[in-house]
Amino acid sequence: MRALTANRLSDGEVVFWSQGRWVERFAEAQLFADEAAAAAEAAEGHAKTETKVVVEPYLIDLVESEGLWAPLSYRERIRALGPTNHPFHGKQSEGGAVIEALQHASGAARSKGRVDLIRRK
Amino acid sequence: MPTLIRCENGAFAAAEDPFTRVADDQELPQGDVIISLQRFLNDGERLIGQHRAVGVVLKSSEEVAALSIDLAKVAVVALDFPAFRDGRAYTQARLLRERYGFEGEVRAVGDVLREQVGFMLRCGFDAFEPADGASCEDLAMAARRQRHVYQRAADGRRPAFAEREA
Amino acid sequence: MYRYDDIDREFLADRSAEFRDQVNRRLAGELTEDQFKPLRLMNGLYLQLHAYMLRIAIPYGSMDSRQLRKLAWIARKYDKGYGHFTTRTNLQFHWIKLADTPDILDHLASVDMHAIQTSGNCIRNTTADPYAGATPEEVDDPRVWSEAIRQWSSLHPEFSYLPRKFKIAITAAPKDRTAARVHDIGLAIKRNRKGDLGFEVMVGGGLGATPHVGPTIREFLPAEQLLSYLEAILRVYNRLGRRDNRTKARIKILVASLGAEEFGRQVEAEWAAIGAGSDLPAGEMARIRAAFATKTFETLPERSESFEVAKSADPAFARFVRNNVKAHRAPGYAIVEISLKAIGETPGDASADQMEVIADLGERYGQDDIRVTHEQNIVLPHVKLDDLPAVHAALAKAGLATPNINLISDIIACPGLDYCALANARAIPVAQHIAERFANQDRAELIGELKIKISGCINACGHHHVGHIGILGVDKKGEEFYQLTLGGSGAEDASVGKVLGPALPANRVAEAIDAMVDVYLSQRQTGERFLDTLRRTGPAPFKEAVYADAH
Repeated sequence: MRALTANRLSDGEVVFWSQGRWVERFAEAQLFADEAAAAAEAAEGHAKTETKVVVEPYLIDLVESEGLWAPLSYRERIRALGPTNHPFHGKQSEGGAVIEALQHASGAARSKGRVDLIRRK
Repeated sequence: MPTLIRCENGAFAAAEDPFTRVADDQELPQGDVIISLQRFLNDGERLIGQHRAVGVVLKSSEEVAALSIDLAKVAVVALDFPAFRDGRAYTQARLLRERYGFEGEVRAVGDVLREQVGFMLRCGFDAFEPADGASCEDLAMAARRQRHVYQRAADGRRPAFAEREA
Repeated sequence: MYRYDDIDREFLADRSAEFRDQVNRRLAGELTEDQFKPLRLMNGLYLQLHAYMLRIAIPYGSMDSRQLRKLAWIARKYDKGYGHFTTRTNLQFHWIKLADTPDILDHLASVDMHAIQTSGNCIRNTTADPYAGATPEEVDDPRVWSEAIRQWSSLHPEFSYLPRKFKIAITAAPKDRTAARVHDIGLAIKRNRKGDLGFEVMVGGGLGATPHVGPTIREFLPAEQLLSYLEAILRVYNRLGRRDNRTKARIKILVASLGAEEFGRQVEAEWAAIGAGSDLPAGEMARIRAAFATKTFETLPERSESFEVAKSADPAFARFVRNNVKAHRAPGYAIVEISLKAIGETPGDASADQMEVIADLGERYGQDDIRVTHEQNIVLPHVKLDDLPAVHAALAKAGLATPNINLISDIIACPGLDYCALANARAIPVAQHIAERFANQDRAELIGELKIKISGCINACGHHHVGHIGILGVDKKGEEFYQLTLGGSGAEDASVGKVLGPALPANRVAEAIDAMVDVYLSQRQTGERFLDTLRRTGPAPFKEAVYADAH
């Protein structure tokens, strides 16, 4: 599974592609199944033409964790959440089930050590 | 063909380019030409004898010193920016003007963008082939941008410390 | 301190107007991202993981209360109420919107600040001794020369598109607080036998993927010829530095490949050809010097009774004094270091409220002079001993009285993967973990000077190569791992640390540090710092302690 992400030009906000528009929450991101590679790449191709809206759109790999999808790489999880040293900054400040799931997500991209290091003050 | 813009006494004007840029594997046409350093070193003497103006284009990796003894005979030195990030031509231009006293045209060719024209002028360039379609007005605006400069360079502008002394 | 005149102000205003125009052209689609990126970088604006990051220059780490209050105001209005002081003595805001940046730059310009050349392949902000003008050790005030360099390097027409970025440091004391030997150019101010002022010139130091300690290419450069000599160095570098490979483009690679002697010979030849025309006239140097000579110190007794009483009465104050207060050249005064390394907090971060507290204290008790250190702390360089108890009390109230300068919890850490688009791993949580493990102040003091420096990638913004213990975050198949280096120093005894062994997972780093500290405590001889013991014994016992139970 993949999702399409970028940073918004005007403010740098992390955004995700969802059915023809950019959304701020990973929870609302459109998920592209591996079989739908052509659709994912078409969306990426289109996004690259939106040069006045976003900067450097790219596809990210997702991994299934506790029944939900999360970005595979730790870097992308941090983009979808916010910095781990300020748990109330960035998207994570909203809280909610999907944010929680992202914070607890496990899979290829993380060791147990990392879980310990995520702080909640 | 990129437009040629010349700057004379602070005024920018589009100019007819009498020179033809000739690649090393090309036949030499009639008239004024700009050729590579290698071709100039091999054949420059003869070409100058043919009563035409000869210019030389230097790659950013080439040394201005290689041209120093023949400079008086050269009409144009074109300095190439293979990418605007390659800043070697700024040094080449200053050396041409300040060390070797070159008084002919120093032309910026290659990836020449309006954003860098202010720096180019200060280093002694006086002709430009903009790669970004910039007009004379665009270049004039870029050149006027900073009312003050902090360093001496090839353009004779009074640096801040000289302004302060006044 | 140097005050902008109309020329300096108009220079900033012009630059600010240009950037506003460029931002507008980008938002309107007239500039592509490829064209715009180098322009925004030249104005300190990066696109990071969560937002834009604006890096504001604090010239040679020196500012006044008015400027720090403005930074606090910007932090509240345009960021999330905090800022991050960096190892380059700059300040970064991490939550900036592109559309706001022209206004922010105008606000900065209103207090004579800017973000010019805080990124890009140009001459960056000069690092100077944060104790300048205050320490009894110094030969001359390095800020005088730093200001001359600031002006000379600002929008330098020849040196704005160098092969790579370029950093200069100036130290004027035997104790180097600038990491001069790991800068592209390190300058050490000296006097020769005749008493003339000059510089030892070191070139080609640097960190990153290939760390180098810079060799000296000139033992004594007459001070007034500094700018022409810098021009000669930069010109040789601009001509000959590699441009085919970004990772080999720093001047350290050129100096190493030519050899220091040959590089020095080329610089001398270029310098001879340049002549004195590039040096600042004596009148301008005198004008700059006068700006830094305005501090007048009251005639005070060496000893302050109220200070001594407070020390005996309050052990917390006494501890603060032991670790954070340093000798001043004027009797009755002291240098106060404010640690931005509160246990469990983000190294180098200060909230807007904290910035205002520091600004107030600097204005009221510190001759309105505030410094930033490359170790991500703040200095009030001129505080009366009589005022120290009040300063300490105010700092304590603001969470700024952590008494750990140069101790194990005074950790340098770059923003790492929590913010930075280049990072491979996080740095901040690792620093927090270690600091928490050594939160006991008695133990930290017992261990003494121990410099831990953490970088989240090989670009080494966290200076890990020159940490007594360095920690480098690496990515192993998508997981954060940390490689330890041992024996580095960024001070006058500069050295590059050596890799200890295989990288460790995040949760083993703090315990590895603990194990090495135990080795040090059991092996140290009288007066030895961690680094001294390590240099005497070699890494073997430390390595064994870290990896003994790993099998």
